[in-house]
Amino acid sequence: MNLARRKVLQLIGLLGAPTAFLLVFFFGPLLIMLVYSFLTPGIYGGVDWVFSHLNYGRILGWADTRYEKFDPVFLSIFLRSLRLAALTVVTSLLVSYPAAFWISRMSPGRRDFAIFLVTLPFFVSLIVRLFAWVLILRPTGFLNQGLMGTGLTSEPIEFLYTDFAVVLGMTYVFIPFMFLPLYGSIEKLDMAQLEASADLGATRIQTFRKVILPATLPGIIGGSIITFIPALGNFIVPSVLGGAKVLMIGNLIEQQFLSARNWPFGSALAMMVMTAVLVLLVVQLRLARRGGA
Amino acid sequence: MPAHLEVVAARKAFRTPEGGVMTALDGISVKLASAEFVTLLGPSGCGKTTLLRCISGFETLDSGDIVIDGSAVTQMPAHRRPVNTVFQRYALFNHMSVARNVGYALEIAGKDKREIRTRVGEMLDLVGLAGLGKRSVSQLSGGQQQRVALARALAGKPKLLLLDEPLSALDKNLRQKMQQELKAIQRELGIGFVFVTHDQEEALTMSDRIAVLAHGRIQQIDAPSVLYQRPANLFTADFLGESNLLPVTLGGTTATLADGQTFATPHPAGRATLLLRPEALGFALPDGPALSFTGRIAETYYSGKDHQITLQTPAHGSIRAVIRAGGQSPEIGADLTLHAPAIGLHLIDEVAG
Repeated sequence: MNLARRKVLQLIGLLGAPTAFLLVFFFGPLLIMLVYSFLTPGIYGGVDWVFSHLNYGRILGWADTRYEKFDPVFLSIFLRSLRLAALTVVTSLLVSYPAAFWISRMSPGRRDFAIFLVTLPFFVSLIVRLFAWVLILRPTGFLNQGLMGTGLTSEPIEFLYTDFAVVLGMTYVFIPFMFLPLYGSIEKLDMAQLEASADLGATRIQTFRKVILPATLPGIIGGSIITFIPALGNFIVPSVLGGAKVLMIGNLIEQQFLSARNWPFGSALAMMVMTAVLVLLVVQLRLARRGGA
Repeated sequence: MPAHLEVVAARKAFRTPEGGVMTALDGISVKLASAEFVTLLGPSGCGKTTLLRCISGFETLDSGDIVIDGSAVTQMPAHRRPVNTVFQRYALFNHMSVARNVGYALEIAGKDKREIRTRVGEMLDLVGLAGLGKRSVSQLSGGQQQRVALARALAGKPKLLLLDEPLSALDKNLRQKMQQELKAIQRELGIGFVFVTHDQEEALTMSDRIAVLAHGRIQQIDAPSVLYQRPANLFTADFLGESNLLPVTLGGTTATLADGQTFATPHPAGRATLLLRPEALGFALPDGPALSFTGRIAETYYSGKDHQITLQTPAHGSIRAVIRAGGQSPEIGADLTLHAPAIGLHLIDEVAG
């Protein structure tokens, strides 16, 4: 058997199983969704095999005039999801960056413990943790009681069921996603480079802009992407902390599939999310290539 | 000549993780003339790197002063000091090209692009890396990275260049080549170099003066030949090169060794130590030897150009000698008499032990 052939067989042996798995259980369903998103919803759920572009029309600006006028509500929910996900990325970055810096300078033993603490929330059910936030944020919750107890406010403030609560909750949930890639690139940062920069005349701010930021950019981009993607499609946090007021696209998709039983419309919404994510990944690849060159 | 760099009574102590206090600099004072190449030499932990870091501004002194060109910089933060450093592991910015690394100080200083490009070109020429400006730092060999680090530190025209064991990561041949180049560059630029190393050969080759440090103090600062031939104390004598240290008793005009041999010396009475470098010993001398040592050859190593002999003597224990090869080869177990001329003898006013 020649070498090239053996290499091919080796590759098939190593990658065959995961490829087959992804084809059947990931790519297959995705294809079904793509097809469904161009079909007509059945009256009692399911689909009728009639081509329709109106699922996308309802979102983007044209509707089936027999039943409804175009309402930009879906588009605004989509835009709100983009905005809240972006805000989540920014806040988790602001929290994680200094923390990662601080932890990376600890002694090895404490460092490992600190990283363990960062991942600790994963050990508790997400629902439980989010309901804990409800207890904190609700009008009679700890936060409002504290504020009123210290006399800072006289009336309870509406924290729950606001954008604020959703971004707070998602930041809380996704901080480990942001932290770990950030930590990876910050930990590799050579402290001697910071001294070299100061030695060559740079102030702390200049050193941050010219040395620290570029050197940790891969971590920032990586962390932002893997925070943004699940935040965009998230439906658990907005349904617990956002209620009916702060609906995100994830909630909408969930409703279309589970309550409204309008699978084609739900599929179209899901495709929109996927498009946004793909666009983002392309941008990231471009950035990464430019940074790596 | 006015002092270019002056360190005055510098003190610095660190708290150790175990809770103790480690005195890194115990009252160091040193003056450097401009365009002088001074090496800080000493075993690890002697304070030489701490002194360098205090000069560059990465550490602050507990007390004392650092003066550069007449102005005190003791309280000045690192980025404002007119000194640049070549770091031990180079600390190059690996997300930047070679040219941007070299031009970093100028970029920070806000110089215009054309000026930066010209200066970077000059610097790359100076260190022999012309044409490599566009390369990424990671594409360079260790020796080339070393040169980039040097060019980067020199680009901003510092008044003083600090070098923290810059050659320790290079292999021996490259290191020797870089030693000569560094010395040549220093002469060409005419600025002061403060060079830290624990490699005595390196220090002897390159320096105008060497400061030998131990226990946070300067043991001696002198030209390499003075330091080697006329060390001021036992530490320097022992640290620098190979040495035979023999106790002597002084009696006004003569010194007496343990075996009763005497030689003339103007030292006053008391006890002292005779330094006898291995290469000062040899076979019969035309003018007659000042001292002679007879013993049995206990060990001998042949290194091509010479024999390194350990002679076991009844009165002085083992005495090391280096004999030029070419004559008869010494054999282990044979008896041998070696002689030292008067000029090879140096007395140190200190007693071992």
